Amino acid sequence: MRLRLSAVALLLSAGAALSQTEITFQLWGSPQEGEVWSGIAQAFEAGHPDISVKIELADWDSYWEKLRVQMAGGTPPDVFAMDAPLYPDWQSRGVLLNLQPYLDADPAALDGVYPITLEAYNTPEGYFGLPRDFQTIVLYYNKDMFDAAGVAYPTDAWTWDDLRATAKTLTLDKDGDGATDQWGFWAEAYDQEPFWGSVIWSHGGDIVDAAAGKTLIGSPEASAGFEFIRAMLLDDKSMPTQSQLAQYGYDGFLAGISAMGVSGHWSVPDYATQSFAWDVAPMPSGPAGRVTGVNSAGFVIARDSKNPDAAWEFVKYATGDAGQTELAKIGFAVPIRESVAKSEAYLGQAVKINHQMFIDALAYARVKPVFKGYEEWSGAVGDALSLIWSEESGVEDALAEAVANGDAALASNR
Amino acid sequence: MSGLKPLGREKWWVLALLAPTLIGLLLGTFGSILATLGLSLYDWDLLTPPEYAGLSNYAGLPGDRMFVKSLWNTVAFAALYVPLTMVLSLTVAMALNRRVRGESLFRVLYFLPVVSSPTAVGLLWTWIYAEDHGALNELIGLFGADPVRWLGSEMVLYSVVIANVWGAIGEGMIVFLAGLQAIPKEHYEVARIDGATVWQRLRYVTLPALMPSLFFQAVLATIHAFQAFDYIYILTRTGNGNSSLPTLVFSIYRSGFRFFRMGDAAAQAVVLTLIILVFTWVYFRLQRRWGPA
Repeated sequence: MRLRLSAVALLLSAGAALSQTEITFQLWGSPQEGEVWSGIAQAFEAGHPDISVKIELADWDSYWEKLRVQMAGGTPPDVFAMDAPLYPDWQSRGVLLNLQPYLDADPAALDGVYPITLEAYNTPEGYFGLPRDFQTIVLYYNKDMFDAAGVAYPTDAWTWDDLRATAKTLTLDKDGDGATDQWGFWAEAYDQEPFWGSVIWSHGGDIVDAAAGKTLIGSPEASAGFEFIRAMLLDDKSMPTQSQLAQYGYDGFLAGISAMGVSGHWSVPDYATQSFAWDVAPMPSGPAGRVTGVNSAGFVIARDSKNPDAAWEFVKYATGDAGQTELAKIGFAVPIRESVAKSEAYLGQAVKINHQMFIDALAYARVKPVFKGYEEWSGAVGDALSLIWSEESGVEDALAEAVANGDAALASNR
Repeated sequence: MSGLKPLGREKWWVLALLAPTLIGLLLGTFGSILATLGLSLYDWDLLTPPEYAGLSNYAGLPGDRMFVKSLWNTVAFAALYVPLTMVLSLTVAMALNRRVRGESLFRVLYFLPVVSSPTAVGLLWTWIYAEDHGALNELIGLFGADPVRWLGSEMVLYSVVIANVWGAIGEGMIVFLAGLQAIPKEHYEVARIDGATVWQRLRYVTLPALMPSLFFQAVLATIHAFQAFDYIYILTRTGNGNSSLPTLVFSIYRSGFRFFRMGDAAAQAVVLTLIILVFTWVYFRLQRRWGPA
């Protein structure tokens, strides 16, 4: 009897589901991020009983492969996450829905959104995507390591030279076996976003002019920036090499082997799981001032979505105050809405560090380059730069190769 | 036995029973080969409709730095991997082709890498080759040697070859063991009576009788060498999704699935197939000349 009843219940609920519009939201991220999004989706469904949201989570690499295959097979997700630098690759190929008609119908939709976070998504035909959150890069420091060495914490007066000198002091062989086991500084070396982009900009150099098809990192100013990094890594040895790092994992700061690191807000939940005390400081300034990078992840809707209106409702909710407030609490990123960023939801997160620092950074932030062919260009340039880090080339030769490879990648993506 | 052939209605049964495999082979294998050939003549980014491009994808390959680099890496890898795998698997097979204590244990041990997960084994090699506190550097440190950057640019090719050869010995060993056990004992007895030395027995009895196995294994090892991917990727991947020793298969994957260039990727795959075909053809010619009549 009970079995029959539950079968009826099942049929009824199936009937209810049929009358609903189901949309899929696909994103990359960790299982914790997936849980947060399930929560946001539930809150959305409560206010929109006729729409149900299915969350599809994948890791970064398989996410982009899956998306290509789904597109080629004609079965894209309705809403999916987009990384701003990769947005033109998808937008220019006509697979994204133009959101401009929705925005025109709802002119207040973007009020209170930090304008710099919108830049990447704006095209001559309008917005084909909206930012979901943003990331500015700041300096993280391990308070325990500074205290143990009796060194003062980084301040907003720091220059890159201060960072270099401190990193040298904090590079130690603690167990005395002749091999370094604590480094002063760690940074992700391949992508421009966490580190080398800021160093180049603050030395007065620039990265790329995609419209002109020119890779700009060969300038004397940019060279000086790369020389600075090379000297820290290879002369001072105050940064772990790729193979040294590989033994401790991917993130040297997380692994507790480096006294300082540079990263975005995405690292906060990870670092908070560690037993050491830490906080954040602004990026140090260079000869041309203080510069950091800002990048955003966003939402896009597939042009072939069967439920574009329901998809837009979800995007609107998630970029709105309620969705942004939920998102702020988990601390993976900074909200795009000023009202939420300045609210207790973001500033009063469970992890007690200086969250305001990430917002203040917008004042001296430049947008991470965004153009068609970004991934190929970034791969070509990163490969050539890695020759510096592996001591196979000097700075000048590697930069010449990076510019040649980068320009070739830009040319093949015109 | 070879005279046993299906007759009359039995033929239909044979066909019907083979149909699932045959259809799979026709659609799956030949279908995808044809699709790859076709795609290599188009520009396709997976998102917009393919555009006919003639032979331009092929014409662009010599100027594609990643492709050229990965082609040379793969050739250098194959030049070391194929002979080493052949010699070592033959040596192990001959050592195990007699009654020794624990012979089956050794056979299992040598075959184990073949059935192990490449990801797990690759990670194990990462630890062996690690610069500080890696197993290999600790070992040579005992003898006072300085640590070596096994996965640095100078050593990475050799380190990767060693890991791959280690993983492939078991398979070659099985092929050679089967070949060795098919050699009649009388041949060795006759050779011994005639006063043949160990080397003469190897040169005039074992190797000629083993020719079919040797050719078979050479073809297999060459195919594996040109298609090598998993261990190499795990040992050499870098932070930006590249590899410090990109191989052909890696370049195909990256062009097609990361850089929106499926047509280029298909052209690279066709070139890879052609290379393997040429080697296989050469092996067959050699076998006809040197093999048993």
